[in-house]
Amino acid sequence: MKHLINRLIAIVALSLFPLVGQAQQYTGTSGLAHIPTGEMNHEGDALIGAHFLNKAMMPDTGFLYLGEKYHTFDYYLALTPFSWMEMSYVCTERRRAINEQTGQIQWSKDRYVSIKIQPLKEGKYYPAVAIGCNDVLTTVFFKDRPDVQLYYMNVYVAATKTFTFSGNELGMTVAYRRFLRGYNAKWNGIVGGITFRPSFFPQWRLMAEYTGNEFLLGTDVLLWQHLRLQASLKDFKYANVGLCLQFNLLGKKYRY
Amino acid sequence: MFHLNASPRRRSLIVGFFALIFLAGQPQAKGQDTSPGIDFFSGINFSFADMNFYRQYDVLLHLTPGFKWNMGHHWQLTGQAMIPIVNTFGDEYKYTQIGAFNISKEMRINKLYLKATVGVFDMYRYGADLKTFVTLSDNLAFEAQAGYVGVLYLDPSPHIYKPDRFVWTVGGDIYLPRWNTQFRGTVGRYLFRDFGWEAEAMRHFNHTTVSLYGRWSGVYGLDGGFRIVIMLPPYHRKHRAVNFRLASNYRMSYTIMYKNYANCMYHTDPEQNERDGWFSRDLLHWGSHTMEPDFIITNKSEQQ
Repeated sequence: MKHLINRLIAIVALSLFPLVGQAQQYTGTSGLAHIPTGEMNHEGDALIGAHFLNKAMMPDTGFLYLGEKYHTFDYYLALTPFSWMEMSYVCTERRRAINEQTGQIQWSKDRYVSIKIQPLKEGKYYPAVAIGCNDVLTTVFFKDRPDVQLYYMNVYVAATKTFTFSGNELGMTVAYRRFLRGYNAKWNGIVGGITFRPSFFPQWRLMAEYTGNEFLLGTDVLLWQHLRLQASLKDFKYANVGLCLQFNLLGKKYRY
Repeated sequence: MFHLNASPRRRSLIVGFFALIFLAGQPQAKGQDTSPGIDFFSGINFSFADMNFYRQYDVLLHLTPGFKWNMGHHWQLTGQAMIPIVNTFGDEYKYTQIGAFNISKEMRINKLYLKATVGVFDMYRYGADLKTFVTLSDNLAFEAQAGYVGVLYLDPSPHIYKPDRFVWTVGGDIYLPRWNTQFRGTVGRYLFRDFGWEAEAMRHFNHTTVSLYGRWSGVYGLDGGFRIVIMLPPYHRKHRAVNFRLASNYRMSYTIMYKNYANCMYHTDPEQNERDGWFSRDLLHWGSHTMEPDFIITNKSEQQ
């Protein structure tokens, strides 16, 4: 009963707390909370943000303190230099115990670069298609070295189609994703999600997604054209939240 | 997974390097002000490094007051001090140093652009430097730089060593105006006597340039990263005989590998950045200089 009440409170809180617009992931690139989409941010969009990552969202290895997973956060810079390309640079905070008796912490960061390319823009009868890769540089240079960790490395292809009715927007995404290293294999395979953007407040987006291993509910919003907020619940109980500042370097203004 | 490193200016290749620099005002429809006058400016030079497991970042913050005296006909005297304010990098970086103190002259001969500089540069160097730029078309240009320099320290005690190092780079630039995108490639011999090359792809936006680069040094190997140059407001300025101003650009340089001494080259201008290049906007109309100017400068007399 207590868990049920907690979940209800969390869902109501999410509903009242408007979050991401066009997109915002913990990787800085466009997408839902945990899966990529075929959509792109606007050309010239620059994002600087941070995301609280629940330990349930973390890889099963590499992020352990005294043998247990922990909550952490990441921060990123992201840019859309062209309408068909996104790039982001992400640092995820890591800690481990130097001395297991005292628990003295050693801080470090896991860093990766993500690139996403959209070869096909959405048309009237066909979806937008994007391909992408997380941890690109390490993958290129060190993929044959098992001693080099690639906690977030994955490649994907995603397709998204949006439908508009009465000013509301419904988006459907299907993607295939594959992580190179085995410790994230639970998120491999077909993933997908649905988004809804109401006509009365199109900056607000609701989303539900399947990550390949669990379900996520999320919501996001773009406030004052520059502040993006995002929150999601994994398996209806593990919360993740993020925020970022967004600017369009070409000086253009978008509703979301 | 790769490593972020940052180091102060002295160590040539910066790993996570933020710099606030300050530009002068420009005449109307020009991006830089080369009409006679003196500008006093100040900024900060912010370096951070992820080299320590016991804290998030090591930080080095310099205050960088300076001046630029435009004497007309593209003669310029410039100076800048580097005063450490916050330093967790170590005692090596606690001293005040000269960022620049030199005199320069720019000139144009048909499609050939020249800039000669004599004096003190950053990277603890002094000597003579010559830069050239040749425009072949609106899209294609060649560039070269050569310098003969020695080492100079002022603090904690003055040390001046005779010039003993000939450095040079030569390369080309391609500019695609439709996408405001520029490609730059150079080869050269650098400050620490290493041969190498560097290739960079730049995307120019309104007041901002973002670039990706890769480079190779015969001594230090392969490296890469990104750079961001943001021209800072106010974008409308008034020009007087004496001007006091704040930052005009914010420059960040990030390298993947921690190779501080690879492909190092000094800067002769304390406000030098990849967006503006080496030459004044009113002299060289090429590349990002063909875009809308970052700064609109009105003369006080014109306004009256």
